Amino acid sequence: MTWQIALPEICLGGAGLIILMVGVLSRRNAFTTATLLAIAAFIATGYLILAEAPGVGYAGLFVADAFARFMQLLVLAGAILALLLSLDYNKAAAIDRFEFPVLVLFSTLGMLVMISAGNMISLYLGLELQSLCIYVLAAFARDTRRSVEAGLKYFVLGALASGLLLYGISLVYGFSGGMDFAEIRAALTASPAPGLVIGIVFMVAGIAFKLSAAPFHMWTPDVYEGAPTSVTALLATAPKVAAIALLLRVLAEPFGHLLQSWQQLIILVSIVSMLWGAFAAIGQTNIKRLMAYSSIGHMGYALIGLATGTAAGIRGVMIYMVTYVFMSAGSFAIIIAMRRGRQPVERIADLTGLGRTDPALALALAVFMFSMAGIPPMAGFFGKLYVFLAAVQGGLWTLAVLGVLTSVVGAYYYLRVIKVMYFDAAGDALDKRSGVLSTVAFGAAAFTVFFAAFSQPIIGAAEAASRALLG
Amino acid sequence: MLITAVFWIFATILVVSAALVVSARNPVHSVLFLILCFFNAAGLFLLAGAEFLALILVVVYVGAVAVLFLFVVMMLDVNFTQLREGVQRYAPVGATIGVVLLAELLMTFGGVRVAPSLATLHVAPIAAQTSNTEALGLVLYTHYVLAFQLSGLVLLVAMIGAIVLTLRDKPRARRQSIARQTTREVGDTLLMVDVRPGQTMAELGIFRPLTTLPQAPALDLIGPTPPVSADDATGRGDAA
Amino acid sequence: MFWQDVTTLSLTVLEALAILVPVLLCVAYATYAERRVLAAMQSRKGPNVVGAFGLMQPFADAAKMLLKETIIPAGANRALFLAGPMLTFILAMVAWAVIPVNNHWAVADINVGILYLFAISSLGVYGIIIAGWASNSKYAFLGALRSAAQMVSYEVSMGFVIVCVLLCVGSLNLNDIVLAQKTIWFCVPLFPMFVIFFISTLAETGRAPFDLPEGESEIVAGFFVEYSSMSFGLFFLGEYANMFLMSSLTTILFLGGWLSPLPFAPFTWVPGPIWFLLKVFLCIFMFFWVRATFPRYRYDQLMRLGWKVFLPISLFWLVLTASFLFAFHLLPHKLA
Repeated sequence: MTWQIALPEICLGGAGLIILMVGVLSRRNAFTTATLLAIAAFIATGYLILAEAPGVGYAGLFVADAFARFMQLLVLAGAILALLLSLDYNKAAAIDRFEFPVLVLFSTLGMLVMISAGNMISLYLGLELQSLCIYVLAAFARDTRRSVEAGLKYFVLGALASGLLLYGISLVYGFSGGMDFAEIRAALTASPAPGLVIGIVFMVAGIAFKLSAAPFHMWTPDVYEGAPTSVTALLATAPKVAAIALLLRVLAEPFGHLLQSWQQLIILVSIVSMLWGAFAAIGQTNIKRLMAYSSIGHMGYALIGLATGTAAGIRGVMIYMVTYVFMSAGSFAIIIAMRRGRQPVERIADLTGLGRTDPALALALAVFMFSMAGIPPMAGFFGKLYVFLAAVQGGLWTLAVLGVLTSVVGAYYYLRVIKVMYFDAAGDALDKRSGVLSTVAFGAAAFTVFFAAFSQPIIGAAEAASRALLG
Repeated sequence: MLITAVFWIFATILVVSAALVVSARNPVHSVLFLILCFFNAAGLFLLAGAEFLALILVVVYVGAVAVLFLFVVMMLDVNFTQLREGVQRYAPVGATIGVVLLAELLMTFGGVRVAPSLATLHVAPIAAQTSNTEALGLVLYTHYVLAFQLSGLVLLVAMIGAIVLTLRDKPRARRQSIARQTTREVGDTLLMVDVRPGQTMAELGIFRPLTTLPQAPALDLIGPTPPVSADDATGRGDAA
Repeated sequence: MFWQDVTTLSLTVLEALAILVPVLLCVAYATYAERRVLAAMQSRKGPNVVGAFGLMQPFADAAKMLLKETIIPAGANRALFLAGPMLTFILAMVAWAVIPVNNHWAVADINVGILYLFAISSLGVYGIIIAGWASNSKYAFLGALRSAAQMVSYEVSMGFVIVCVLLCVGSLNLNDIVLAQKTIWFCVPLFPMFVIFFISTLAETGRAPFDLPEGESEIVAGFFVEYSSMSFGLFFLGEYANMFLMSSLTTILFLGGWLSPLPFAPFTWVPGPIWFLLKVFLCIFMFFWVRATFPRYRYDQLMRLGWKVFLPISLFWLVLTASFLFAFHLLPHKLA
């Protein structure tokens, strides 16, 4: 029995149960303790993931390879950053209950399983574990109407997406006679039946929903805006990584040799996401909604790499996700720091004059905005560079050109935030920010600025991972 | 022949009740038809020789899940006519989607090819002389242990979620502590007082509200502490 | 082919009658026995007028119920109102199909018998919910809610107890479960489970001290307030048939079914069905005894007992049993 292959996940699950018991049995509010324990558990899991040998276990249900390792570490990084942010935010918003880190932990466990899935069953279970936790987390501020609405909306649409995914899986099963990725690949010939293509379309639609790629993005702005900001920070980082890893694995492993039957679909989703992300964001006044549209656009760019179906493209997606996670986490640290008179403010107009009242924070936000717009030498530029490069190499000129054009449109609203901070008349100063937020914001900013300096090992790991995935 | 007849009975009732689930006017009837549906599906499983699945379907879906459905639906105060207003308007859309899905299903059945290596694809072929309960148990906790445990975690998360979103802890609520009730002794709450003839309540100090309570702990749900001041307690202990 | 089917069918019907007629007789006399036992325990006389020692009392009661008018309250859902008691009664009857009263003496000796019983008993709640809702009465609905919550709660720990027994047997077949007790009845090694199971059966059948669903002092009579004549009679019969069913289940799971208490001469002369009956009667007597002795539980106490006491204990004992069997290589391996 090769059960050790899932040792990191088993340990994380066990840690979750222990933290749950600690929270239940402690007499005082255990939020901080539980959060710190969960972060420790994430770090330990990361160490175990680095230490484990690649292989396949549990009768093909679970795969550990270089790709899984890369994406799992990225997910853990996103989850740790989100938990750090929640330390400050949840106390301020009076939702500092110990179930929060427990749910984040189980959600992360679901993401790890998704990334390592080698079978439709583990894929679905991982996805459900992840989403179920996030449905609850989105409604975590249960006395706030917007939060409950966000949770309910996400739940209903998420259930629909799960239904689509399951329907797709059942069609694929009907045509291949297997649930295991390797079996499915072996059973499918190069010229697929139309029903199978429909199955793939349904599966992609289900996963694209979790990814908030257009046209399955309709939940994103409302949920981003309504959910507690610490949850939004999580929502914008780790689940995106997990969902895109799942999409990469599903399209590369069981359907890798059927590129021509799903390439058009990914190209379409990518174009729609880029356009929608760029144009719908222009009119936004709420910064959380702005981030929502921005994430839709980012997913569009990331999918360009997948559309090429080459190792270079997949490497591009992975690098893009690395830069995206840190930019987003940093931006959300600043959004959480936007508090005036102990009340959170989230309009873009509330940032007026930040360049004078808090130059350091304004500089960090400017860095993130430049990076998201894809301006060199920030990290976001390299993410886009590798993706566009792969598209050009793969002959997808239209995608590359559209990507550049929408980046220009996107730059308009990113730069608008910078204009508001530096060139508008100064407003009232924000409240003093806590140490945790500053650490996350400035750490992520440093990562974004100096990405070029230490990007070589990351790019190398992504290269190895993409080759491992394409086998 | 008997088996065929039974199959058709189950199948017919299943399809008819499934149609009635969506067309019944009263939601309670809908749920009851749903239960009938489950029941007939279980019957079909039974005919197919999957007796374990059949009975688990009844125990889990009919015995537990549908009971909760029924509870909720019975307690809802739904305006049925209002609920049905949209039917006419949305029926074409729904019908279109239904037709598309049906077409896909038909296409799937039309295009089904048995995988060439089907015989070897069985992860765990059922050995002869094994009932399907045992066969299921043999793979569920070995090959699929990961999936099994993950399902457990999904259920745990659902439970945590339900508690997080709905439980409102009332710190001031009066709760019964059975341990405290049973360890209580007579002397803790009862004081025997020797009342001399002619002595009044005022002299004894038995007044409500009490100004000087005995040091007995306030016990919830046990009843008010007897209004007797400690000074006058002479019979403490022999009140068995 | 056709005639073969006909013979199979008619044989099955005959077999079913062979078990249902004695069950109904037992049920009829259980009502009489209960009143006599309660009376004896409370120093009263009980029914002693109709026939010798009042032995014809059940028939008099039956005649009364059959002859009275069935009243259907205004605003009640007519079809469901009548379906409720029928469902309860039918479920109480169909469960008997798998009960073995002697070695391989069961109408259907299926290999998932215990699961079948569990499924049927979990359906019992429907008769009550439907009756409570269809009566269009607040009391009835409250009673139905109470009853459903109670039955669902106690099924959980009952399930664990059953799993515990199954671990020791290695089969879901009721016949195998009895035969596995040849060396020792399970009520000895699994005594705590036996106690929990018996108490859970009290709750499952809604008998005292867990008869809150019909608590007269609070909700007049619970889910069957509005029922009269034979529709009430069916509930009544269903309740007693369920008592017998649960007693048979207890007998099979813990008291060695039809096996004689001691495996040698004077005991083994007595045929198995007699032992089975005696054990069932013992359990039924316990039901009466408990009713005569204990006051009714409060609802929160009932829920507390089910979820906070029985569930942890039975879960713990399940783990303990499994670990014990595993550690000492006593697991009943039928395969490999």
